[in-house]
Order: sequence, then structure tokens, then C-alpha cells
Amino acid sequence: MDAFNNFVTGSISLFSDPLGILIFFGGVIGGMLFGAIPGVSMLTLAAILLPFTAHLSPVHGIMLFSVIYCTGVYGGAITAILFNIPGAPENAPTAFDGYPMTQKGQAGKAVGAAVMCSALGGVTSTIIMMAATAPIADWAISAFGPPEIFALVFFGLAVAASVGAKTFWKGWLSILIGLMVAVVGLDPVGGIERYDFDMPYLLAGIHFIPTILGFFAVSEIFVQAEKKVKGAYKAPKISIAFPTLGELIAHKFAIVRSIVIGFFCGILPGIGATLAAFMGYNEAVRWSKTPKEFGKGKLEGVISSETANNAATGAAMIPLLALGLPGGALTAMMVGVFQMHDMEPGPLVFINSGDLVWVVFAAMFYANVSILLIGWLETKTIINLLRIPFQFLAPMILLLATVGAYAVRGLTIDVIVMFLAGVVGFFLRRSGYSVAGIVLGLILGKIGEQTFAQAMQMLHFEWSGFFDRPIALGLLVVGVLTLMGSIYGEFFKKKPPTAETPVS
Amino acid sequence: MGQLRPGHLVEAAMWLGLCLFLFIYSFEFNQGIEIYKFGATAWPRAIILLMAIAALGQLYHHWKLGDQATSQIISAAVDDGAEEAAHEAHHEGLKWYASTLGLLIIPFAYMRVPDWITALVSAEGTSVHVIRIICAAILIGIFIYTMRRNITGAMLTLPLFFAAMLEDMGFYSLAPFFIIGVMFMFGERRAKPMVLIAALIFGLLMLLFVKILYVGLPVGNIHPFYDIGSWAVTILQ
Repeated sequence: MDAFNNFVTGSISLFSDPLGILIFFGGVIGGMLFGAIPGVSMLTLAAILLPFTAHLSPVHGIMLFSVIYCTGVYGGAITAILFNIPGAPENAPTAFDGYPMTQKGQAGKAVGAAVMCSALGGVTSTIIMMAATAPIADWAISAFGPPEIFALVFFGLAVAASVGAKTFWKGWLSILIGLMVAVVGLDPVGGIERYDFDMPYLLAGIHFIPTILGFFAVSEIFVQAEKKVKGAYKAPKISIAFPTLGELIAHKFAIVRSIVIGFFCGILPGIGATLAAFMGYNEAVRWSKTPKEFGKGKLEGVISSETANNAATGAAMIPLLALGLPGGALTAMMVGVFQMHDMEPGPLVFINSGDLVWVVFAAMFYANVSILLIGWLETKTIINLLRIPFQFLAPMILLLATVGAYAVRGLTIDVIVMFLAGVVGFFLRRSGYSVAGIVLGLILGKIGEQTFAQAMQMLHFEWSGFFDRPIALGLLVVGVLTLMGSIYGEFFKKKPPTAETPVS
Repeated sequence: MGQLRPGHLVEAAMWLGLCLFLFIYSFEFNQGIEIYKFGATAWPRAIILLMAIAALGQLYHHWKLGDQATSQIISAAVDDGAEEAAHEAHHEGLKWYASTLGLLIIPFAYMRVPDWITALVSAEGTSVHVIRIICAAILIGIFIYTMRRNITGAMLTLPLFFAAMLEDMGFYSLAPFFIIGVMFMFGERRAKPMVLIAALIFGLLMLLFVKILYVGLPVGNIHPFYDIGSWAVTILQ
């Protein structure tokens, strides 16, 4: 009941604030558009907006990012269905059956199913998030000290590394690069200068905003330059025909299964919406009595993928807000928004900024509902926007990123660092490394080292002290088991002859 | 050799070389901390050790399985098309990497060479500005001449070159040319749309950031660029 009252209070705060409403709708529309336009993603938009959130209140900044997250995951479904071009990786499985449906003249039904199931998955996930986050945070306040936080960071990085890149090793190398970048600057205990190369700029460490902008927004443009994306798309005629109630009921197991898969993928660090969509789709094929019909225009394919990816969004906020642990690239950027306002995400946010949390929760709920309302209205807008050639979009994104990087501290070296990160990100991405892993390592590296130092001082430098703390021990054991499992898989598990074959 | 290719060995050598460099450099700050017995180096050295292990693990993976992914589902989920684009564009050979590296040196040359020349000829005042403008002009010429053979490499270099010149020439003077340059890299060749779109993008950005949000952007510190930047700010604000 408390949660419901808080939700109502959060809703009133959200809709009684004109600037809040403006930011909410800006986020809804921006997320959908950037999710839909191939070559950019909601992460590009979030990276560009990150520096400017310093000028917003923390509530507005975090709300903007959470709304972009919800609608951005949905946005790419439209282009995946209509043109076989997923706007973002989390919509790729939607294209497997969505596009064949378009070819069969059922585009309206496929888009309708994507709209309904995205909203359904997102709303369900948000409701569970609202019910679960506050109790978890309450528990974490009394149960979590530096050893537990360090153990949680270790667990998060272990899971993220194991599933974040093309191979287990590349996942780890991506995370470790991020951790190494976080080392640059003054050490958190003694204030000793590390890896500053006698450059005063590096004394304060490499700022995360230019780095994030470079890895996400700039490297994306470079990848597109290699792909030479250009020209207008041929827009098919489109109408929306929502699936009938009978069709939805017929797919009730697929919807529930995808919500469960999406939620668990969202709550675990490093997995997120993309893997949720692939796993949701894969499980739909595995459980189906007619698996051979998948890939040829089966409605269940669209339903499974779109329900699962949106169900991951609310779940991803639980570890961020309850424990202070970002699980993916967008939640890592949200940590950046908190830090820019001298705040740390985690259980104390509920005590110190309870209003913020409930406005954000309410905004996420309404963002998912708005997919249902605005989603179909925006479909035609998106088709028209796709006619904007990428050669006109690219300079705009690069200049926005330049202004964003420079505006943080007024240093041109931040712009150089951003473009350098873009070049590094470009080369790493084309070799199968994960830029999201690097950013996660960068954000969690500072927290990890600081809490490790505090934990060791607290435990009088006795490693056995971890054995007296069941939560820390449990997290460390699960983290080690995750690692051992991945290493076992690398060395001992038999491999299929090729890995280039598409997911079944 | 298993399924190893020369590229895999280069990749492993680069990671291990990076680890070695970072480890050696860690002795520069190998100091004790009274309240923390692990000192300032324990954390970075642990990361370096793990990085070296992961690099060797990656080499083993390449030897055993080549470029195969750990898991089909994860591979499909993390694939952003960057690898495929590189493969399709035939940007995987040593020649392409060498050409790209050659282009990428240009912005760094601008960051260093004018200072060396200034020190060499003991230049002062406006002569320093003249040296920087001449260096920029020569490097822009080299960039334009070499970019035709490697457009992707040029696309990687252009923003860095723009950023390197930002302090001297300022945002207001460089941005319009940068916009046109990026459009050109993406295949646009029609002059009229390029100029119109550049004016539109530049105008919108100026209106939003300088006129409305009062964001201070670099005006440059070399004449006449500084004058152009200051004039633009005066007009807009």
C-alpha cells in the first residue's frame, strides 16, 4: 500500500511540474526516435545528453534517462519489422519474424503486437520494480558495508564479463581496460599520483563523460562510416492492427515466459535488454510445437522478443537504485548523472531522495504506457525520419558530442580524449570487444577500489574476515563460480563446428 | 599453429606489451601508504596480472577455436555489425592499418610539431601564430591528399584533427568546415546541400547552445580566428 501511495505522490509530482512534463515527453519521443534510427541508438542519445544533465535537477536528469531507456528499447522494433533493419541490437530478434510478416502483408499486426507487448512487458517489469526495490534497499542499508559492496562489484563484473562480449576473454579484457582507465589519477587512499605521465590533466583522472561520449556516440559514427550508410529507405505502406484478445490469450505462455526471462536478464549485471530479447526468442522457438515456422513470419516471434526486451528495463533499475550497482551501459551513465550532482546511487537514495526515486518510477510506468499511446502515432513519423540521410545526421551528432564534452570543464583536451576514445572504441568493437564492458569497468573501478580498501582496513587486512560476512562471502562465491563456469566452458566444453550460424 | 592467424598473434602481443608497459610504469608510483599496507600499486598490478592472463586465454581461444564466439546467443546479442562491416570493407589487411595509422599521426603532429619549430627558431609573439597556421595548412594539405585512398581512416582522423586545432582556431571558425568534411566522408558530393545543411546545423547549434544556454565554446587564440570567434559570440549573445 505504501508503494501505491508513493507511486501516486510520484505521479502528482511528475505531472504538476511543467519542466518535468516537457522532459518526460522529450525523453519518450527522443528514446523512440533514437531507438528507431539505424546507426544511432538510445545510448547515443544518452551519451550526448549526459553532460547537459548537469544543468538539470537530479530528479529530471535521472527521469530523462530512465524514460529514454524504456522507450528506446521499443523504438527499434518498428524499423526491424518494416525494413528488416533493427534500430538497436535489442530489436534484432524482432526482425526474424517481424520482417517476414511485413513481406506477407501483415506489417500492421506485427507493429501492433510489438507496441502492445513492449508496453505489457515494460509495465509489468515496472510494477515489480516498484514493489521490490524499496524493500531490497531497506535490507541493504543494514546488511551492506564496504566488504559487501566490494563483493557485489566483483560479482557484477564477473557476470558482465562472462556474457558481455564475443568471447569470455574479450569480455574480461573489456572490463579490465575500463578498470585500468579508472586507476589513472590520484589513488583513493593515499592520494598518490598514478599513470599521470607528468600531465596535469591526468591528475584528476580521465573524466567519464568524454570517455562515454567517445565510446558510444563517436565510435558508432565511425562504425557507420565503415558501413557507408546512406540514402533513403523505401517506406512501405503501414497501418496498425492490434492483435485480437484471442491472439494475445493464445500467446499467454509466451508473454509470461518472456516477462520472466526479460526480468531476470535485466536484474543480472551485464546482460540487459539485448540478451533478454535473444533469449526470449530462443526459448519461444525451443518451447514451440512448430519451431520450423519461426523465421517465416510467426507472430509469437515478435511477441516473445518485444515482451522480453522491455521487461528487462524495470528490472535493471533494481540493482542500480537498491544497491548502487549499474548492470549495463545506460544504467552506468545514470551513475554518471548521480555523480554530477554529488550523489551516489544506492540504498541511501531512498532515505535522502525518496521523492526522486518515486518520480523516476512513476515516469518509467507512464513511459511504458505511452508506448501504447504514442507508439502507433509515432510509427509514421519514424518512417519519414528514416528518409534523413545519415550523412546529415552524422555531423550533427559529432558536433553535439563536441559541445557536450567541452561544456563539462571548458577544456579542449576533453574533446581530444572523447575522439580518441571513439577511435579506440571503433577498433575494439570491430575486434569483438565490448565498449559497454569498458564503461562498466570505468564506473565500477573507482567504487571497487575504494570499497576494497575500506573493507580491508575494516577487516584489519585479514582475508578471512570475508568468511564472517555471509552476504559478502556468498557474492564472492557466486562471482568465482561464474568465472569458473566460464573458464570450464572455454577449456573443456565441446564446441559446435561454427558459431557464425544464426540463433535458432 | 591450430587456428591462429598472424592477426591473433599481433593482438596478443599488443595486450601483453601494454601489460608490460603498465607494470614497468607502476614503479613510478610504488610508494607505501601508512594506513594501507597494500600501497598504491596493488590494485593496478592486480588488474595488469588479470589482463595478462586474459590476453593469454584469448590467445588460447584463438589457437583452439579461431574467431568462433563463446556462445551463439551471446555472440548474436553482442554483435553490432562492426566486425562484419570491417570484413566487407576489406579493412583488415596490414596495408589498411598502416595507412590509417599514417592518417592518425596527422592530428598528433599538429599537437607537437609547431611547438618544436617554435623552440627551434626561438619564435615569439605573432611569429608563433604564423608557424601554427603554416603547420596547420601543410597538415591539412597532407590530409586531403592522403584521405582519398582511405576514407574510413580519414573519418577517424578528421574529428581528432578538428579537436587538435580547436584551441588555436576556435569552434566558430572550424565547425562549418568540419560539418562539410564529415558529410563528404559519408559520400555527399553535392555542394549546394552540403553548404545549406552545414549552415542549418551550425545555426541551430549556435542558437541553442550560445544564444539560449550561454555555453562558452572555444573562440581560438590565433588571429584572425580569435577575432572571428569573439565577433560570433558578440553577435549571438
